[in-house]
Amino acid sequence: MLLLAALPATVRGQGGSASATIAGRGILTGTYASREPLGGDLAKFQLVQPMLMAHAAAYGRALRVTSTLDFEAWTIADGELTIAAWGEGFVDRRHPHTVVHELMVSGVGHLGGATFSVSGGKGFAAFGSDDPANRLTLRYPVNHHWSQILERAVLTGGVLAGPVMAEFSLFNGDEPEYPQRAPNFSRFGDSWSARLTAFPVQGLQLEASYASVQSPEHRAGFGTDQQKWHASGQWTRPLGGHPFYALAEWAQTSEGDGLFVFDSFLAEASWDLGATRLYYQFERTERPEEERIFGQPTRSVRPHLEDAILGTTRWTLNTVGVGRDLLAAGGVVRLRPFVEASYITVASSGAGVFDPALWYQGTEFWGLSLGMTVGLGRMAFTHLMGRYGVSEDVLSRISPSHQH
Amino acid sequence: MMRLHGGLRPALATAMLLLLASCGGSDNAGPTPIPPVGISLTSTVTVPANYGLHDTFVRDGLAFLCVWDEGVYIYDVGNGVAGGSIDAPTLVGSVKTVNGNAHNAWWYHSPLGSKRYLFVGEEGAGSVGSSSSGSIHVVDVSNLAAPVEVGSYTLAGAGTHNFWVDEVNEILYAAYYNGGVVALDISGTLPANMASRELARIQPGGAGNTYVWGVMQYQGGDIFASDMLSGFWRLRYAAGAFSVVGGGNNVPERFTSDLWVQNGYGYTGGWGNRGTQPGNAVKIWQVGAAAPVLVDSVITSGITTVSDVQVSADGKLLVFSAENGPNAGLHVYSLVPSPSRPVFLARYLVSQGLHTATVETIAGRTYVFAARNPANPALLTFEITSLIP
Repeated sequence: MLLLAALPATVRGQGGSASATIAGRGILTGTYASREPLGGDLAKFQLVQPMLMAHAAAYGRALRVTSTLDFEAWTIADGELTIAAWGEGFVDRRHPHTVVHELMVSGVGHLGGATFSVSGGKGFAAFGSDDPANRLTLRYPVNHHWSQILERAVLTGGVLAGPVMAEFSLFNGDEPEYPQRAPNFSRFGDSWSARLTAFPVQGLQLEASYASVQSPEHRAGFGTDQQKWHASGQWTRPLGGHPFYALAEWAQTSEGDGLFVFDSFLAEASWDLGATRLYYQFERTERPEEERIFGQPTRSVRPHLEDAILGTTRWTLNTVGVGRDLLAAGGVVRLRPFVEASYITVASSGAGVFDPALWYQGTEFWGLSLGMTVGLGRMAFTHLMGRYGVSEDVLSRISPSHQH
Repeated sequence: MMRLHGGLRPALATAMLLLLASCGGSDNAGPTPIPPVGISLTSTVTVPANYGLHDTFVRDGLAFLCVWDEGVYIYDVGNGVAGGSIDAPTLVGSVKTVNGNAHNAWWYHSPLGSKRYLFVGEEGAGSVGSSSSGSIHVVDVSNLAAPVEVGSYTLAGAGTHNFWVDEVNEILYAAYYNGGVVALDISGTLPANMASRELARIQPGGAGNTYVWGVMQYQGGDIFASDMLSGFWRLRYAAGAFSVVGGGNNVPERFTSDLWVQNGYGYTGGWGNRGTQPGNAVKIWQVGAAAPVLVDSVITSGITTVSDVQVSADGKLLVFSAENGPNAGLHVYSLVPSPSRPVFLARYLVSQGLHTATVETIAGRTYVFAARNPANPALLTFEITSLIP
């Protein structure tokens, strides 16, 4: 796979029996947040989502390898400035992903009218919606840890029969502790997920998922467990003769035997007018509040000392953006300048001692990002992380790319 | 008056007393890289990181280590039953209590001499200030090498935290976070379901304003309670019911953590951040009157939480553990000449922080049994005898 990935662009093997494709992508962005923890504002210039993606296939695509290397460990070691984001010890910063973001091998076969696949390696479990890096906004949704399960040692079986696809994953429950951290392989199989997806008409995807995740935030496995639900509908058909995409998703995670319940609703849409894309995202998501590290208001205490949180906050976000494709007409280099603005509010949700008005010295936030997405390679903007085997094969039934 | 400590060399502590006493309102910020003179590490007992060691109860030369999902480890630290010593603790036995999350313990010695029961607190999941979970587990330690759980008490909608046992009257007082304070009858042979042994309970701050961290009986009489939300309370249990004697709603700027009452004074710690105010204070209260009266505070820079507070049995040392910050670790103050005006003696910094510190005298020497936090949790035993004024 590494040898294949090292090839400069697209190489086809003899007789078309094997192929390999490689691409790179990254976003140079300047982001401003009007309000930070403990008050004040902040602007940062960062390189986010620098990735190298590679695909390889052989035996008529019966054998496939999908990989993504992520270099955020070096470009955003302290996280991406993203008010409301959280997870893996970061708060109001989007945490860097692991270097080996995904490395999956899939075998695909056919039986009767159905297609079967088995995929294994490190990557996404079959749960929820596509990764935010594959979607519209630069800003990662607050619900990233409610709507996706990623960077696990995972084994996924899938079957696609007519308009219905079913997937089942076994994986390790623990989330990464830092970008170079490998999954705790000894915990492989302690968690599972199932996803059912239907394609009733061209352009429409309906999805429902469930996951049982053991101790995601305590690597040794002694933390609280999660039960996760997710449902979504996605529509990709032209509107007024122009490509149109819309997604609505609901997610709920219950933790600590139901003591903590976090809900999320998100809706987003884009409309492509030639090379110009207009997009909008609405989100209302609850997140846990944890004790912060002394002198580091954007980091929470790790490892956990106990199973308590400080409370729950509810974040409401409206994000609007416009981007334009440059150099897209058949070339291998693509540029997408964009501007994106967000209006965010926060409130306490239920009881708890965390008071967002005190912590942020206010409850309203504005955000503005200017940036340029740079892609190198024909699949720089079409590679969808987390889709393996049959899940990759259904892309023809929906729009293949809504990437930022 | 508020006083602060910093990096004074312990050997000069006595000479600096007057100077320290005049330091009101100032803050000596940041850690000072001085050796912890007067505090010597005598032994380290590592425990699994699940989540690690939370509290240690020491009695008769036995240390009961509450090791979260590993349950309770019993170590011989000078009893002799397993050939252990303070320098080389030896494991005697262990028990995994139901649901794990073993947080604290009390080895009960009854008035009739029975030493059968160990009470273990389970600290379950919760949202600080509003919800909690976890039961009190009753463990039969008649055979120290093979303890066995024989009963439990569960309060619906709330979870337990620290205990105090009135051994003369055979009553266990349990801090119960949002459940307030609960009194249990622990006389005689205890049933598997301890629900029938509940004597009384109280939410001193009222619903929505109660989240009790700790309780302590003072001189066999009133019960003092530290409430994270509503501060320091004086309660009374009589005729099968609790009543409020005084106090409460007296620490609005911080979350209150642990407590200790001795020498006519109460000492309460702080926890986490209340808004942006860290819990870096030990507040000193005069408890002679009906309601505790705040007389002083010791502020420690470079910490977020005072996680445990205790006064040595002779009343001469105030010891507290601290977490989350460059000055996390063990801090020792002198209560001589005045228990209302602690004088800094020494500290031992532990970068992970110490979750609890239990002061105990063994063979005439004074030790602190401290719980080092993950990622490499352990019981650290310190000798502080030389610090006693």
